[in-house]
Amino acid sequence: MTLVYRDPHAPHCPPIDKQRELIHVDCASHTYPDGSVGIHDMCFYVLRDEIVALCGPNGSGKSTLLEHLNGLLTPSEGDVWVNGRSITHGERSDLWKDVGVVFQRSDDQLFAPTVLDDVMFGPLNLGMSHADAEAAAMSALEGVGAADLVQKLPNYLSGGQKRLVSIAGVLAMKPKIMVLDEPTSDLDPLHSEQVEALILRFKRDYGISVVIATHDLDLAARIADRVCLVKNGSVFAEGTPDEVFYNPSLIKEAGLTLPHTVRIYLEYCKARGIKPEQRPIHRHELILALQSLQS
Amino acid sequence: MISSHIPDLDLITVYAQRQDTFFSRVSPWTSFAGLLLVILLITLTRNLVICGALYLVILGMYAAAGLPVRKLFAWYTLPVLFVLSLVGIMAWTEPGTPLFSLNTGLCTLTLTDNGLILVVTLLLKALISVTYSLFFLMTTRYQHFSAMIYRLFPTPLDQIFLMAYRFLFLTLSMTGSIFKAVRSRGGGIIHSIRVQGRIFAEVFALVFIRSFDRAERVHQAMIARGYNGKYEAGTEIPRPGLSGYCVIGAFTGVIALVVLFVPNTGGLL
Repeated sequence: MTLVYRDPHAPHCPPIDKQRELIHVDCASHTYPDGSVGIHDMCFYVLRDEIVALCGPNGSGKSTLLEHLNGLLTPSEGDVWVNGRSITHGERSDLWKDVGVVFQRSDDQLFAPTVLDDVMFGPLNLGMSHADAEAAAMSALEGVGAADLVQKLPNYLSGGQKRLVSIAGVLAMKPKIMVLDEPTSDLDPLHSEQVEALILRFKRDYGISVVIATHDLDLAARIADRVCLVKNGSVFAEGTPDEVFYNPSLIKEAGLTLPHTVRIYLEYCKARGIKPEQRPIHRHELILALQSLQS
Repeated sequence: MISSHIPDLDLITVYAQRQDTFFSRVSPWTSFAGLLLVILLITLTRNLVICGALYLVILGMYAAAGLPVRKLFAWYTLPVLFVLSLVGIMAWTEPGTPLFSLNTGLCTLTLTDNGLILVVTLLLKALISVTYSLFFLMTTRYQHFSAMIYRLFPTPLDQIFLMAYRFLFLTLSMTGSIFKAVRSRGGGIIHSIRVQGRIFAEVFALVFIRSFDRAERVHQAMIARGYNGKYEAGTEIPRPGLSGYCVIGAFTGVIALVVLFVPNTGGLL
C-alpha cells in the first residue's frame, strides 16, 4: 500500500478492490441540524478481513463517520454503500445486522437490567428464539472472556467489564463489520490489552472486519492494517501504519503525536546521529531494530 | 446516598444481588404472593395485637435475612411522619376513655385510649407494608424482579420500568457526583440551598439536561442493535415449589381465620 494524500478540495477514493469491499463512503458530507458540519467530502472504505483505524483529534469527525456506517446518520450529500447497497437512497432498516457498533461510553449502551438481558437484546431483535438468543449471548460472553458476568447487573461492573459486555452485545449478533468508537478509552492497561486482543481475534477467528476510531496512535500502530488520518471532517491521508507513522509532519498536521515505538526509535537514531532506515511499529520490531543499531 | 432517611436504591439492589440466605432461595413468586397477602391482611384487620404480631414476624424475617435493621429504622422516618401527619389529629377526636387533655384556649382536646390505639395500629400497618416491601426487594434478585414487572405490567409500563430503573442509578450517581463537587469546594446542602439556591437550580437543570442527552444516546445505541420499540426481559423466574405453595396456603388460611374469628374492630382484641 502506498500512502495516499487527499486534497480536501478535490476528494477522491483511491482505487479499491471491489471484490473485497464491504463499505464505501463516497464523498459524503453531513451537516447537523444546528448547521455544524460533522464530515465533508469524506471518502472512506472498508475491505473484507482488515482492521482500519480512523485516527484524528477530538472533534475531527470520527464518530460522525462511524454513525454513518450503521445508518444511524445519513449523509446530507454523497452516498454510503454497505455490501454493495446504497443506504442513502435505499432501505437501511436492517443495516444493523451487518454493521455492529460499540459506542464510546458503555453506560450509553448497556441499558438492560442484567448482562444476559443486554447481550440477548440484539439476537432477539434478529428474530432468534429465546433459547437461541441465550445461546448466542452466552457464546459471545465466553468469546470476550466475560461469561462469569452473565447474571450481574451492569451497575456493578467495572469500566473494563462494561466494555467487554458492550462488545459481547454486538458480537452476539455476528456482524460482518464491527465498528468500535474509542475502544480502549478510560480503560486500565490490562483491560486495554484484553480489548486489543479481542479486536485482533475478531478478524482472525470470526472473519469480522473492524473499524476503530481512536486518537491513541499506539493502539492503531499495534493492531491496524490500514490507518486513515482524519482532520476537520475529512480523511486527508491513509496508508499502512509504518507509512503513516514514520511521517512526523503528517502526524503533526493531523494534530496527533507519534506512537511511542516510533518516537523512541526516531529519537534514538537522532541521539546516535544515525539515519533511520527501518520502520519498527511493534514492540518486538523496535527491540530488533535497536539491537541491530547497537551491533 | 442523598439522605440516610431515604431508602438507598443502590444498597437495596446490592443486598438483593448478594443475598444468600434461605429467603433468597424462595421463589420470587412466593415472596410476591406474601406481599399481596400481607397487604390483604392489614387491609382486613384493625386489631392491634395481630398488627403487632405481624410486624414482629416480618421484622424477624428481615433481621434473619441479614438485612440492615438500623438502616431500616432510619428509613422509617418518612412513613412515620406521613402517618402521624395524617392520623395525628384523628387521635384527639376518637371516642373512648380519656387519657390526657390539652386546653388550647379555644377548645379542649382529649386523647382517648381508642385514639392512641388507632394511631399505633395505623403506624404498625404502615411499617408492616414498608418493612415487607423492603424485605421483598432486598431478597429478590433484580433480574427476577424486573422479569416479574415485565410479565405483570402491560406495555408501555413494563418498558418504562425496565429501561428507567438502570438509569435511575446513573442519574443518582450523577447527582451524587455533583454534590461531591459542591462539598469538595466548601459547599453544603443546607448551606448552599439557602445561600446559593441559584447555583443549585442550575446544577439540577444540568442533571436534567445530561439525562436527556444520555437518553438520546441510549436510544441510538438501541437502534444500532435493531430496537423496534419492544424490549423483552429474558430472565426465567424460578417457580414456587411445593413448600412455597404450602406457605402461601397456610398464610391464606391464617388470614381466613383472622377474618372469621377475630373481631374486625379497633382495639386490643
